[in-house]
Amino acid sequence: MRVASLAWAAALAAAMSLLGRGLGAQSTGSLTVGVATVHYDGFLPSGAVSLAPRVDWQSSSASVSVSGTYLRFESGHESLQSAVAARLFTDPGPLWRGEFGFVSGASQYLDLASFWHGVARARLHVLGLERGAWIGVSGGATSYGGAPRSVAAASAGVWWRLPELTLQLSTDRSRIADTTYTDVGSRAHWERGPLALDVALGARAWSGMGSNGSGVYGETTATIALGERTALVLGGGHYASDPISGGLAAGYLSAAVGLSLGRSGRVIHAFPTSRSPRAEALPLGPVVRLEVRAERGRWVRLRLHASEAMRVELAGDFTDWEPVALTRVPDGAWEAMLEIPSGLHRINVRLDGGAWFVPAGVTRSVDDFGSEVGIFAVP
Amino acid sequence: MRPVVRLVVPLLVTLASATAAQDARLERLAPETRAPVVGLIDSARSAGLPAEPLVQRALEGATKHAGGDLIMTALRRLAGDLGGAREALGGAASPAELSAGAAALRAGAPPSVLAELRRTRRQSLTVPLAVLTDLVASGVPADSAAAAVLALAARVRDPELVEFRHAVERDIALGASPGAAAWAGALAASSSLAPGAHGGQQLPPRKP
Repeated sequence: MRVASLAWAAALAAAMSLLGRGLGAQSTGSLTVGVATVHYDGFLPSGAVSLAPRVDWQSSSASVSVSGTYLRFESGHESLQSAVAARLFTDPGPLWRGEFGFVSGASQYLDLASFWHGVARARLHVLGLERGAWIGVSGGATSYGGAPRSVAAASAGVWWRLPELTLQLSTDRSRIADTTYTDVGSRAHWERGPLALDVALGARAWSGMGSNGSGVYGETTATIALGERTALVLGGGHYASDPISGGLAAGYLSAAVGLSLGRSGRVIHAFPTSRSPRAEALPLGPVVRLEVRAERGRWVRLRLHASEAMRVELAGDFTDWEPVALTRVPDGAWEAMLEIPSGLHRINVRLDGGAWFVPAGVTRSVDDFGSEVGIFAVP
Repeated sequence: MRPVVRLVVPLLVTLASATAAQDARLERLAPETRAPVVGLIDSARSAGLPAEPLVQRALEGATKHAGGDLIMTALRRLAGDLGGAREALGGAASPAELSAGAAALRAGAPPSVLAELRRTRRQSLTVPLAVLTDLVASGVPADSAAAAVLALAARVRDPELVEFRHAVERDIALGASPGAAAWAGALAASSSLAPGAHGGQQLPPRKP
């Protein structure tokens, strides 16, 4: 199918372009090269090599990602997969945030099997500082060579963010034409120093696809940062079929080297699994979080969780509003130790030289200059 | 006094005053903005108001690339709030207290709460006022925030007040309404006091 080829080529070209000239403030890119052994349900096991470019762009209210995967099997046969996903977020309310998204993808195996799908979705996120929940609906169409079939789904989930661990539980009820199924899934992301672990466990139940469509599945991916921009990615497990994108259920083991233009250790899936990577459901709002901790004397430790940033700066009434660069610490956070007198203080932060904003963790207030400022108290 | 001395002394005083007003940090402002900003800060200083909060607000405007009009409007508003805070807190208030008091007034706390805080707490009011401002900015109704801080200010130390504010933040994140969260936080902070503390002032029976 030409769509898959063109989209994959576009993702590769974009990634290579970024590799050549560096990143803008809100863009990240990666290119992953790996080997895998894969056992699609109902087929013989096969070795494969993979090449997977990915480009992400993100602002405070929108994100776009383009990804592709090229697979060459032992037989010499090739597979192309590609996807584009866009998300728009409403301005955050006191406790909630709306999301509208669209995902489109295509895949091709030989000249025999080709899929495409396009799905729009809407979600309502209920947000806390460290936890949240969402409910959502989606609808669209998918095609396996012939006439498109309708897609409708409803989903709900909850998540918690701990200092090093993010947990997510979700359930989806999907209907593709006359086939229905329900997935219950859990995801965990743990990160410490150069190591990041992603674990997914789930089950498909009440499937209208018969016993072949039901079962338990699970995957684990370990990402080990090797340097500033490179990471070793090891993965394995068994994932369920995805009737929307045309993914077959399979078991796999994979090893890959990822070249990242974001930060080292960024999770890059070495093998195309049926679902998108971790924490895909988390809205953009609470990602950047500031902790203010009074130490001895007047010293205050300012710790910012902004794992995707390459450079983090703050400015406040305790820096004469001069930008101060934070230092990355081994656990991936950014820190500065500053002498701050007791009282009420005003602060803004910025990532990668972008616009000043208020991170989660401090009180948001309107400033006098048409923007917002964070305020916090030091004892 | 000789005529020369009568001329030189006021001149030196004027020069010293002008030099003091020419804070080098303000050179980050555009030249056409700097002069009125320096004038306004000098006037505030002459009126006995602290200059540092005004300098910081001007620098914030410069960092955010605000226009001169916006910066001057912000400074006039802040100078007014500092004056209101001094009126409520008294002439002995420290610059940090005045700055925190001005922020509390701007957030919506009534001047009477500042005066009441001055009467009920011997220690510095900087942190109680900062917590009060922070609570109101978080969405806690001003009267509920004032009641909670007034109830605690006489008995707890600054770190406990800040911890109280964190407890409110957690409760709000967990889904409590800001007013109810402030009330629950005040109760929790009050109950954590040393034995005998409960014999003091009772929290007023306000509905969150």
